[in-house]
Amino acid sequence: MERPVSSAEPASQAETMSSGERELMLTGIGGQGVQLAAQVIAQGATAEGKEVLVFGSYGGMMRGGNTDSTVVISDQPIEAPPVLSTTWSAVLMHHQYWAPLSERIRDNGLVLVNTSVFEDELDAHRYQVVEVPATDMATDLGNPLLAAMVMSGVYGRKSGLVSLDGLVEGMRRSVPPYRSQLIEANEAALAAGWEMAA
Amino acid sequence: MSDRALLEGSEAIARAAVASGCRFFTGYPMTPFTELLEHMASLLPEVDGICMNAESELEAVGMAWGAATTGHLAATGSTGQGLSLMQESLAEITNARLPLVVFNMARGQGDYFQATRGGGHGDYRHIVLAPMDVPEAVELTRLAFELASQWRTPVMVLGDYYLAHTYQAVSVPSIEGAAPEVPDWALNGSSGGSGSAKIISPLGGGVEGEEGFDLGAHYSACAAHIQEMSVGVDPLIDIGFCEDAELVVAAYGSVGKFVRYACLRLRDAGHRVGYIRPITLWPFPSQAVHDAVASAAKVAVYEQNMGQMVEDVRLATLGAVPVEFIGGPSWDHSGFGIGPDINVPDISERILEALT
Repeated sequence: MERPVSSAEPASQAETMSSGERELMLTGIGGQGVQLAAQVIAQGATAEGKEVLVFGSYGGMMRGGNTDSTVVISDQPIEAPPVLSTTWSAVLMHHQYWAPLSERIRDNGLVLVNTSVFEDELDAHRYQVVEVPATDMATDLGNPLLAAMVMSGVYGRKSGLVSLDGLVEGMRRSVPPYRSQLIEANEAALAAGWEMAA
Repeated sequence: MSDRALLEGSEAIARAAVASGCRFFTGYPMTPFTELLEHMASLLPEVDGICMNAESELEAVGMAWGAATTGHLAATGSTGQGLSLMQESLAEITNARLPLVVFNMARGQGDYFQATRGGGHGDYRHIVLAPMDVPEAVELTRLAFELASQWRTPVMVLGDYYLAHTYQAVSVPSIEGAAPEVPDWALNGSSGGSGSAKIISPLGGGVEGEEGFDLGAHYSACAAHIQEMSVGVDPLIDIGFCEDAELVVAAYGSVGKFVRYACLRLRDAGHRVGYIRPITLWPFPSQAVHDAVASAAKVAVYEQNMGQMVEDVRLATLGAVPVEFIGGPSWDHSGFGIGPDINVPDISERILEALT
């Protein structure tokens, strides 16, 4: 299947560290697929030969608790430690625990927001905001739980860090065998996000 | 597509251990060591190895010791708490001259003294390697098994929560391939045609009139061996920007990666800071530390504890440069070693304070 390549110019104009590393912080509530989205993007970048680091944190609750993840992608060995204080980009799946992250996004950072559920104000002058009705799009695709895959598709294209092929491979590597029946739907959701980001 | 994989630190270390020939692993679950045990349990049967979930850390180190006497590469591990229980055996295994790799996925950095001085009895030391991240942990795990075999000694790989639970892209160590040959000294249930029993014991061994029977001679030989290791094992250290640094910051392990990053960013901002990150904690890279800080006005040591490695830095510099401790204990609610203070801005601030 013929697929478009990544856009050459990433949407984020935030300052990049001298190492050339690009950071992504994701936030949401348990059950939204935040950890899975981080894995899909990170596995995709790994499959494409990048250097990648992921560190996730989540509360004890499977559903409803705070869940965050940090991903770092680079062409060089990663200098960044697992916990970072600033980021080049962010994915906001939900507003509930997003406040601490708001200060960490560097000026002009790429911010993807799930407008279907996000109920807070975003400073469009400070960030490069990309509004994605991810949960609505996922619902249209047949399953609201695909929202994180839609977001991953948008992120891959807007960031210029992972191609759609890479994201699909990353998703295949991330989905456990007992969820293999969801691979097709995940792929459709990734593609829908990628198209939306055109 | 690349052949590299995104692996959690625990899995990467487990794969590197099996790829290095480890065929016996045992431990008792305890965060953040548990995942390493789980990955060994999953991998070892694939190569006809054995992984045992022990009933306690005492049993774990005992079984690992037993496996090591057969000449197969064995490993065990725990957190520092479990390592406390293993200290007696680690002292005895050292004097029995057996190779063993021990993984301490520690909670914070309070176990530096335990790792480098040892809590067991007697006049012993063993090699300690402290990786800063997952790719380095893969390399140092391989090195740990090599050194354990070469020197017939326990070698510790000292990690923590961050190392065990961070995912990084690494070249996947292949676990295929034969384990190393069993050495001559191994016990195999026979006397090897010698007519007398083979003995491997921390008390030496043999029968009257043979080498190893005299306990004093045995302890002297053990001491000589440790002395030989202390100069024979290559000290490893990561050094950056020390040539013109006013302040050199020392740190190790995962925390060392935070400090290294803070120093790199401070360098970007024009501050004359350098860093040293000892990788072999024993033997401590004393000469390299001494040389690296020779032109600095001050050394600052950052550890996630009350100050332990700072003593080795002071011994290495012998008063030539003032050595200040800028770290401190830092715990979140879990007690697993995640430190709220272990972040680049806070560390940078302490470095800048030390610089003024």
